[in-house]
Amino acid sequence: MAQPVLLPGSAPFGADQISALNTVFSVATVEQRAWLSGFLAGVQAANAPATAAPAAPPKARVPLTILFGTESGNAEALAAAARKAAAKLGFAVKVVDMASTTPAEMAAVPNLLLIASTWGEGDPPQRAVDFHEALMADTAPRFEKTKFAVLALGDRAYAQYCEVGRRMDERLAALGGTRIADRIDCDLDYETPAKGWIDAALERIARESTETVMAVEDTSVIHVDFARSQAETWTRANPFAAEITDHVRVTGSRSISDTRHIELSIEGAGIAYEPGDALGIVPRNDPALVDAVLAAAGLAGNETLRTALRDQYDITTLTAKQIADHAALANTSAPPADWAFGRQVLDLLEAAPVKLSPEQLTGLLRPLPPRYYSIASSRAAVGEEAHLLVAGVRYRTHGRDRSGVASIDLNERRATGETVPVFLRANPHFRLPSDPSRPIIMIGPGTGVAPFRGFMQEREATGAKGKNWLVFGHRTFMHDFLYQLEWQDWIKSGLLSRIDVAFSRDQPEKRYVQHALLDAADRLKGWVAEGAAIYVCGDAAAMARDVHDALIQILGKDTLDQTRRDGRYLRDVY
Amino acid sequence: MNEIRPLSANERIKENSRLLRGTIAEGLMIPETGAIADDDQQLTKFHGIYLQDDRDLRAERGRQKLEKAFIYMTRVRIPSGIVSPAQWLAADKMARERGNGTLRLTTRQTIQFHGIIKSNLKPLIQGMWHAMMDTIAACGDVNRNVCASVVPWLPDGHAAVTKLASDIATHMLPKSRAWYEIWADEPPAPDAGAEKETIYGGTYLPRKFKIAVALPPYNDVDVFAQDLSFVAIERDGTIVGYDVIAGGGMGMTHGEPETYPRAGSVLGFCAPEHAVEVAEKVITMQRDHGDRSNRKQARLKYTIDRMGLDAFIAGVNERLSVKLQEAKGFKFAGTGDRLGWARDSAGLNHVTLYIESGRIGGRQLDGLRAIASLGVGRFIITANQNLALSGIPDADKPRFEALLAEYGLDKTAGGLRRNAVACVALPTCGLSLAESERYLPSLVTRLEEELAAAGLAEQDITIRMTGCPNGCARPYMAEIGLVGRSPGHYNLYLGAAHDGTRLSKLFARDVDDDAIVAKLRPVFAAYATDRTGGESFGDFVIRAGFVARTIEGRDFHENLSPDLRG
Repeated sequence: MAQPVLLPGSAPFGADQISALNTVFSVATVEQRAWLSGFLAGVQAANAPATAAPAAPPKARVPLTILFGTESGNAEALAAAARKAAAKLGFAVKVVDMASTTPAEMAAVPNLLLIASTWGEGDPPQRAVDFHEALMADTAPRFEKTKFAVLALGDRAYAQYCEVGRRMDERLAALGGTRIADRIDCDLDYETPAKGWIDAALERIARESTETVMAVEDTSVIHVDFARSQAETWTRANPFAAEITDHVRVTGSRSISDTRHIELSIEGAGIAYEPGDALGIVPRNDPALVDAVLAAAGLAGNETLRTALRDQYDITTLTAKQIADHAALANTSAPPADWAFGRQVLDLLEAAPVKLSPEQLTGLLRPLPPRYYSIASSRAAVGEEAHLLVAGVRYRTHGRDRSGVASIDLNERRATGETVPVFLRANPHFRLPSDPSRPIIMIGPGTGVAPFRGFMQEREATGAKGKNWLVFGHRTFMHDFLYQLEWQDWIKSGLLSRIDVAFSRDQPEKRYVQHALLDAADRLKGWVAEGAAIYVCGDAAAMARDVHDALIQILGKDTLDQTRRDGRYLRDVY
Repeated sequence: MNEIRPLSANERIKENSRLLRGTIAEGLMIPETGAIADDDQQLTKFHGIYLQDDRDLRAERGRQKLEKAFIYMTRVRIPSGIVSPAQWLAADKMARERGNGTLRLTTRQTIQFHGIIKSNLKPLIQGMWHAMMDTIAACGDVNRNVCASVVPWLPDGHAAVTKLASDIATHMLPKSRAWYEIWADEPPAPDAGAEKETIYGGTYLPRKFKIAVALPPYNDVDVFAQDLSFVAIERDGTIVGYDVIAGGGMGMTHGEPETYPRAGSVLGFCAPEHAVEVAEKVITMQRDHGDRSNRKQARLKYTIDRMGLDAFIAGVNERLSVKLQEAKGFKFAGTGDRLGWARDSAGLNHVTLYIESGRIGGRQLDGLRAIASLGVGRFIITANQNLALSGIPDADKPRFEALLAEYGLDKTAGGLRRNAVACVALPTCGLSLAESERYLPSLVTRLEEELAAAGLAEQDITIRMTGCPNGCARPYMAEIGLVGRSPGHYNLYLGAAHDGTRLSKLFARDVDDDAIVAKLRPVFAAYATDRTGGESFGDFVIRAGFVARTIEGRDFHENLSPDLRG
């Protein structure tokens, strides 16, 4: 094995210490190193010696509130994991969703572990908008009684990385809260560093807490937990091999979008998904891109590495940290941070060619994250199948053709009869109304329409009486009207009460779903007044914002806010 | 015919349509389909609109969970084919923004837009309407676009024939306000649906009706292929009246010999001031006597053959204020266009451009947009799918020449290609059995090689192809006619007169590309060596015995060579 990541001679340790540490690092796995880095960050935050003993259980049950704001479910899942860890340590834990609390309630708790994700360009998750707003407002309560620690989730590929966590962390301190551990900012590969940090932060809280609580609430979880007893066995690390039973293009041959309808058999998997849930896909990188990366790193022909890069490492993004790390390896000056925009690891390797060892290359790379696709079916209609709607992503930046990792893998490198590794990611905040007679308005342009096919199948199969209204958009009516014949059938049968469409390229002026909404403003108001729930699925960057603005214009901000607070304005945007 | 026969389905649709309204307006608002209701598909024809689908895509659509690729064809009403540069620019804009980026010049001297999706239909028609063009009665069981010879270098004659064409077109417009309500947002009048269709009546005509006006010796409008034609009779440079021809028509059905193309019959002569009245009375004769049970027997040509020509003329005369006189007689030179530049007595210039199959897109469309932007002269669409630019002062001619050269619009063509006409056929026409517009150019290339080898490269020979036997490109009036039978296979007809006065005869059945060339090679060779001075190809093949002469429509299917019988 070639040289792994080692401490440089300039590290602030004695030569023996460097040697001793290197002995550990040389055999440490990527995961072990990541844990260590998270652990040390947490310990450092607590000003504890690096050699701190393992945490002792608190003498009395220390109350702990874990507050999360989630969009994709990652923060929520992490909160659940933190709850387990805290319960083991004997805390009296309460997990709270920002969607269902206020800063005033939180200012009353003594110990607060806050897990906040950042969405898009530095925005809070939609469900955390009210909490965020109230916390930032001049009228926000003081947090002088509260010790807090913030774990921020984000994606380094975005400029406003972990912005919401950063803002909340600063704000809680400004409002008089006591920061008990320094904030950690976590990238897509958050799981291991987050765990290390949580462990350290919990230990610190336990040690610092002097309160004893007589009557404690036991480890209760405020929100309804996911019903994923069986499916929990399938994870990104242990996915279910789902066979592709149908694989058809559902855009016309003249569409510039190659979108596939893919039917997967989940027979025997026990994946009890609900309409609105997503399926995680463990994709493989494009072998041609893997080869190009290996060649650029001077590692062509290394078969073991080739497989690892194809299956385990993210080779299609580029972060400022990677640029800096590579500059250190290549002994060059790093390009400015915005150089990363639209570029990938390959561009970096080719910009400053240097022969890397396999460990140097893998040390530079982030783990390959799974990709999530809204399920486009209902088990009530299709049985033990899950249908996906996948738009192949292809684009060109900086003189190079790029392709989406999972979408092109699914659409072009997998065929009927082959299997795809999948696992369930429940989306409890994007479900049909519990009341089957409640009308719903589904706004889903492009592949954002996928969950609504599941909704319609479910409402048809269960005989739900509520009215259904679909607002769909895409580029062209003729070639991109996804599932057109199925919507027509549902209109004929009366299940679908209304459909509005907006196709952007069919006429000189661009027309999008928000224009269709504005055209139908009066009717939309009427539906919402009747109690309709509004669902939005699809692109977060432009569409969800434009639709949100249109809804404000139609309903007024107060009504829309109230609708959201009532759980009738739900979004699944990405 | 004393038996009572049920009316055809279309008659019921017309009757129940509230004068061509149906549920068209409602259908346009239905967002999930690109189609409209079945009955409305018949009614929109009266508004110049056909629902079609892209047949190239039929096979893939079902698998894609998509309905057929529904598109609309829209045909403009342009009497005599004349539009202003501003109108041309409007058409250009609509083709680019709402259609498939092309304009299609047609054998009825109009412009067709293709590939329009439903949501673009009304914006396109409004775009044309804002430029003072409409699509009323461009299709349907009514008088269609009225043709007139494109002879702008003869200003007086051209003015006369185009005036008559416009007068007839205006006189024969339906009175229903349906088009204005649906497409131009005219508020319905209180009596909407009960307007008085004073000439047509509430169910219009039994079938389409086509009228043309010609100025001899030019038969570019193919007068014998029309339901009704007026042939200008000049005496000492003045048009003294018109010989009237009726009962021409091309359509037939494969395997149904009771259907046939027919060359028009001469009815008589009328003075200029009576021509519009003659048109009305011939039309009302057809309105009252045409077959409304069987649409395949509904054209005027069958009415005349059923009644007998004399009885028909007598019926027309009974309705006229002034009876038809004996025909004066006329002589035609040909059916083609006079391509290239011409200068008239007033000093204006005119140029007729060869447009392959009438399809204008890409660089040619760009070039014509540039020319139209000059705002000079007029654009005139010919019945051979070509385009004349007319009324160009000497001072502007160099600019025109430069633009024509720059955009490749000044290309000339050989004797066969410049006389070639093809219908649209695949992929948009729902009737086509075989390719036409997309195929004829390559066939002509092969045949040109054969003609060149025989030393006939510059010989004017008319060739016309249609994808089905309904005859939009008037194939039975061409010296070489090709009519689609099935994909890649055509019936080959020979022996029509070069001047458009005689129908052709079947020469070979179900021939493909190679077989068409092989069948024609020896005929070309014989023509090259055996023709007499000035003898046209169509006349030669009859004299040389390749086909028998077709006397009239009813013997079109007769006198075939023995191997073609049965």
